[in-house]
Amino acid sequence: MSNTQPAPVASEHVELKARKVSFDWDATPLHWVPGDPFTTHTINVLHLLLPAGERWFVHVYKQALPYITDDRLRADVIGFIGQEAVHSQAHDDVLPHLREQGLDPTPYTAQVDWFFEKLLGDRTLPPGRPRRWWLMERVAMIAAIEHYTAFLGNWVLNADELDRVGADPTMLDLLRWHGAEEVEHRSVAFELFMHLDGGYRRRARTWALAFSALVFLWQRGVRFFMENDPSLLDGKASFGQFVRKGRQGVLPSTPDMLRSIPRYLSRAYHPSQEGDTAQAMAYLASSPGANGGH
Amino acid sequence: MPRFTTVALVAGAALLVRRAVRSRMTTAPLWPLPALDEPVSGYGRGSTVPRKVVVTGRATPAEGVVELRLEGTGLPSWQPGAHVDLVLPSGLVRQYSLCGDPADTASYTVATRLIEAGQGGRGGSREVHDRLREGVEIEIRGPRNRFPLVAAPSYVFVAGGIGITPVLPMLRAAEAAGADWRLVYCGRSRATMPYLDEIEALGGGDRVSVVAEDVSGFPDLGFLAHVPAETLVYCCGPEGLMDAVTAAMPEGRAPRLERFSAAATTGGTAFEVELRRSGRTVQVAADRSVLAAVREELPGITYSCRQGFCGTCRQRVLEGEIDHRDELLTDAERGDSMLICVSRCAGKRLVLDL
Ligand code: FES
Ligand SMILES: [Fe+2]
Ligand SMILES: [Fe+2]
Repeated sequence: MSNTQPAPVASEHVELKARKVSFDWDATPLHWVPGDPFTTHTINVLHLLLPAGERWFVHVYKQALPYITDDRLRADVIGFIGQEAVHSQAHDDVLPHLREQGLDPTPYTAQVDWFFEKLLGDRTLPPGRPRRWWLMERVAMIAAIEHYTAFLGNWVLNADELDRVGADPTMLDLLRWHGAEEVEHRSVAFELFMHLDGGYRRRARTWALAFSALVFLWQRGVRFFMENDPSLLDGKASFGQFVRKGRQGVLPSTPDMLRSIPRYLSRAYHPSQEGDTAQAMAYLASSPGANGGH
Repeated sequence: MPRFTTVALVAGAALLVRRAVRSRMTTAPLWPLPALDEPVSGYGRGSTVPRKVVVTGRATPAEGVVELRLEGTGLPSWQPGAHVDLVLPSGLVRQYSLCGDPADTASYTVATRLIEAGQGGRGGSREVHDRLREGVEIEIRGPRNRFPLVAAPSYVFVAGGIGITPVLPMLRAAEAAGADWRLVYCGRSRATMPYLDEIEALGGGDRVSVVAEDVSGFPDLGFLAHVPAETLVYCCGPEGLMDAVTAAMPEGRAPRLERFSAAATTGGTAFEVELRRSGRTVQVAADRSVLAAVREELPGITYSCRQGFCGTCRQRVLEGEIDHRDELLTDAERGDSMLICVSRCAGKRLVLDL
């Protein structure tokens, strides 16, 4: 096989299914990474972006379903839709808990809602080519975003440093259950994109868009949390802190993140080349939240 | 010199943007993006968070029966016939019908009879009686309703012992709606039958027949053979009683039963579903889901978990009475939509916007 054709590394195909989960937030403190508001809030940005973002995945994929001509891929996409729908709900359910602790996320989430529902929503386009173009554009964006969700999922499954510093077990379980499902379904978005379109120019273009949007949203999110955190007098966020926490191991390391960029842009990229399905399945089998709740 | 002005302009603009962002960090952190008028995120259903209640009252409405008042915040309202799952301290999960006021969102009331191991008890009621003291916090799931009270001009209710619990809110609702109703309430002895006083007051004379086994033996259900077609028959009680009621019904008619066993959670009755936009009608057999039936006509329909928790199979309902069997949708959503993977029809026909 030529090395310019994306192909899965191994036949580790698993049947995807949504899992019912339950997480009890009552005992989770505001700074759930003890004494480290910056790390806490950097990870908390997930709760700001994912409820609207993953709802949008589901919305877009429902429209893409009729174009799929491969039965196995269709089954994968159906499983993917259910998993993302539950992810969105689970992160959404963290937000009232933040509000109860004096950190109301609504000013931020209302804008993220607009971003996904209006800016990236169904525009009034004439049926036919323009509509299909916009659908493909969004399918490609989701493939790029899923490169990062899989990256983060794989990271959090292996972030032993978070256990060592005493991070809240319920929050860690939410992150690792979600991370494990991201690793489990990491190939679906890319395969759907390759199946429906697969153009390299589109892949590169939408990657650039998705990456810039993520950086923009993330840095604003961390600053929003740090400045509004009722327990911090002068909360500041900086890139330097991010690099340092990455070196410590409580956040993804900056060099690792930079190295993942050329991988997605390589013509031989396939998501199955990264992450470990067996590790993800093992976590899912033991996750308290995914097995009857805390 | 023009270079200097360019640099100064760019620096000035950058400074202004920075200030604009800073000053908006609290109210509009993603400036210059607008906000959605009615924010969606953060106001979800709470379906992934356990719902917790505290036991704040215990009473003994009859011999061997304990009534619990369970307080929580923002509990969903429910319809007569609904039940909740109690997750007992040991982890056992048991279902109990709600018998308080459906509109009360601050507390639920359930009543359980103690069934000893020697009488076939499996430990749930023993635990409720022994361990659910005042102040104990437990998790509940639901409410769900597999025994909905469908609007009708007249009803016959047959309750056996603790089976009165789902029926009690039905009596109140039927009375409030001005429906014609009667109740046959049986039990071992009057002392073991809860809520007798309230029920007899509600019936005001000839509507309620109390059949206590120690005085009058088993109830005479012969009258059921002649109930008019528009009268709905509801029964909750021991298996034997439900079988007797089923047998006493006129040919081709079935009573509505509440059974707390696994078999009852899936099946139901057969009905038909019209897909209005596609102009087709499908039959849903008693042991199949609406989703399965609809998929035969519309293979592209979206769904995922097929268990009523992901929400992707939600469809708009134009006509017909829905029997909601999920725990996901909010009351507002239940008004005109359903999850077709698990929910069914409480009558004979549904019309979907498909
Ligand atoms: S398919 Fe998941 S709720 Fe119906
Ligand atoms: Fe996800
Ligand atoms: Fe994902």
